[in-house]
Amino acid sequence: MPPLRICVNSQTPLVRFNITPEELARRYGKLRTPLDLGHLTEGRDYQFTPGGVTRMVFPLIKRMLREGILEDAHWVSLNPTGPEEVQADGITLHHVSLARERMRGYGYVKELIWGIVHGIPLDLGSAAQILWQDEFSDYTYYNRLSAERIIRLDRRHDFDVFYIHDFQQLPIGSMLRTLKPKVFRWHIPFDASMIPKGWRELLSIYFNSYDMVIVSCKKYLEALKAFGYAGEARYVYPYIDPSPYAKPTEVEIAELCRGLGIREGDRVVLVVARLDPMKGQDRAIRAIAAVAEEIPNVKLLLVGDGSFSSSRQGIGLSKAERWAGELRALAKGLGVEDRVIFAGHLAQDQLNAAYARCDLTVLPSIREGFGLVVIESWLYGKPAIVTSKAGVAELIEDGRNGLLFDPDDPIDLADKISLLLLDRERARVLGENGLATSKRCLIDRGVMEESEIILGMV
Amino acid sequence: MAISPDFGPLYPIVSFAAIVLVTWIIARSLSAIIGRLFSRVAPLLAIHAKRIAWVSIWSIGIIFALEQLGLRIDLLLLIVGLLGAAAIVANVDTLRNLSSKYFSDAYVPFKVGDLIKVCGQSGKVIEINPMSTILLTENEELVSIPNSIFLREIVVNATPHVWKEVAIPIVIDSRIDLAEFESEVIKSCNKLRLHLDERFPPIITVKSREPKSTSLVLTLMIKDPDRKEGIISEVNLRVAEIIERMGRKRR
Repeated sequence: MPPLRICVNSQTPLVRFNITPEELARRYGKLRTPLDLGHLTEGRDYQFTPGGVTRMVFPLIKRMLREGILEDAHWVSLNPTGPEEVQADGITLHHVSLARERMRGYGYVKELIWGIVHGIPLDLGSAAQILWQDEFSDYTYYNRLSAERIIRLDRRHDFDVFYIHDFQQLPIGSMLRTLKPKVFRWHIPFDASMIPKGWRELLSIYFNSYDMVIVSCKKYLEALKAFGYAGEARYVYPYIDPSPYAKPTEVEIAELCRGLGIREGDRVVLVVARLDPMKGQDRAIRAIAAVAEEIPNVKLLLVGDGSFSSSRQGIGLSKAERWAGELRALAKGLGVEDRVIFAGHLAQDQLNAAYARCDLTVLPSIREGFGLVVIESWLYGKPAIVTSKAGVAELIEDGRNGLLFDPDDPIDLADKISLLLLDRERARVLGENGLATSKRCLIDRGVMEESEIILGMV
Repeated sequence: MAISPDFGPLYPIVSFAAIVLVTWIIARSLSAIIGRLFSRVAPLLAIHAKRIAWVSIWSIGIIFALEQLGLRIDLLLLIVGLLGAAAIVANVDTLRNLSSKYFSDAYVPFKVGDLIKVCGQSGKVIEINPMSTILLTENEELVSIPNSIFLREIVVNATPHVWKEVAIPIVIDSRIDLAEFESEVIKSCNKLRLHLDERFPPIITVKSREPKSTSLVLTLMIKDPDRKEGIISEVNLRVAEIIERMGRKRR
């Protein structure tokens, strides 16, 4: 089969820009369009957006280009501060911009949808009303703007397939009036019981406008079918490219520990997640407070900052800052402020050092679409204690390659942390078995499965 | 004394061309006036009225124009009439189906994708062509129903929620920002939510794109069938106002 042309669409952009296009022009002179990312400096001018877009979608498209499955890739996303077109590793990034007032309405609706789907207790009656509020017209506006951009690009590049990512973009399928295959990837949890009755008909229309829906685990697939989606659907476990997760040097580990105040004898429990109440860092802090009574040298290392939505370059919602404040207050209230380390965003080398240094990792999310950080920790042979409400829980045989816990029970989590900190042999075995399981979530398998789906459709 | 230009032997040709030109201008102007008059209240009626006006004016114009060329119009009309009658007799079934298609477009309440029952047959409408409507039955058989049947027989549309559905065709200038227009229409329709099914917010679908215009369909789900006509007319009015406002802004 000849190589394909793909159009990817996600809300979250691959790169966040630290400066405006005007500042870029002042710094580098007149820049060509599309702007080549290779001419800029990572960290100073831009940074890759943390999360699934960078860890999963980007490596997938790069790999498909490299293997000749794709000949051309375009990626449309929301990026109010970025240049209109950017070239990154053979992929052309197209950025959609939204005016501030529209952004506010759009952000409000998408946060509400996200919260409902993740089980944040809201008044479901008022949730249904959102479809009739002006903010919903901003949500539709953003999606139509993206769809129109995709349609214009399709006229120019004649794509073979459209790959739409995540719940924010769900209406795009119904807006793309095309007979070409449309694949939708739903990354967050799917539990029909969480969806308000008033949303069901509309969501059903949106889902059924796709030719294929991919979800992150078996459980979500069953739920999607029971919900009434009549088209083709598959589950593909999310995956990562293991190559950036190199073994850090002793110097790198020592540097990280020095910077974060971790001493040699400390037992380190690592949580890698963006700062968001849904990620359950509060559960981990409560558990650490209980563990500290038995193991005084325990430290909780919280890695991560806000999401694209929380960022200055993104939608500008101040969720992450608020949450960080609450977590600090909680740690202080429990008397463990000296045992909780807020590391913020770490560069890849530092993150690798954190994985290598920790004793175990915890995924404490209240609800989690999948949980790729568990796979990352397995790559370092570290045992993981995982919320039973995450998609990745499907891969865990409790007691063999990890431990499961109820996110509403911090004592259960505390007991399991103590168990692994005190029983090093058990921790080692769990980590080793985890490493073996991680192969099910590596990019080779992901590329194979996703290519099979895409090629099967075209 | 009136002075008329002397075109000599070219006079009939010049008159013919002038009448054709005047006919074209009248047909175009009248179509535009009818379009403006009806588009606010009944876009579908506007399309039919424009078609009728266009055909009538051109028929009269052509007769006058041909007369200028010295042709015997009475004989011409007789020949055309006889040929027409012969064609009607020979193709009565075809014409019945064609005209039924024309009327059923406007008056029969089903569209492609609906589940219907007619003359003991039931299935999903997968095609409506000028001659017939094709149903796909549950046994995966194709059933062709001549269009004329739909004006004579009782048709049951068994599509879920079908009585609620109101599809309003909209045509906008392609220079109008579609995202902005859609957002304005949604906001405007939200004000009528008391009369709409809360589970189905207004949805706009793009049906076709031409270089100069974009055809859309606004789908609403009403709560009470008695209010259908009132809602259609109110929404048409609101949409026309938005188009006008956005057009002004663009200018």
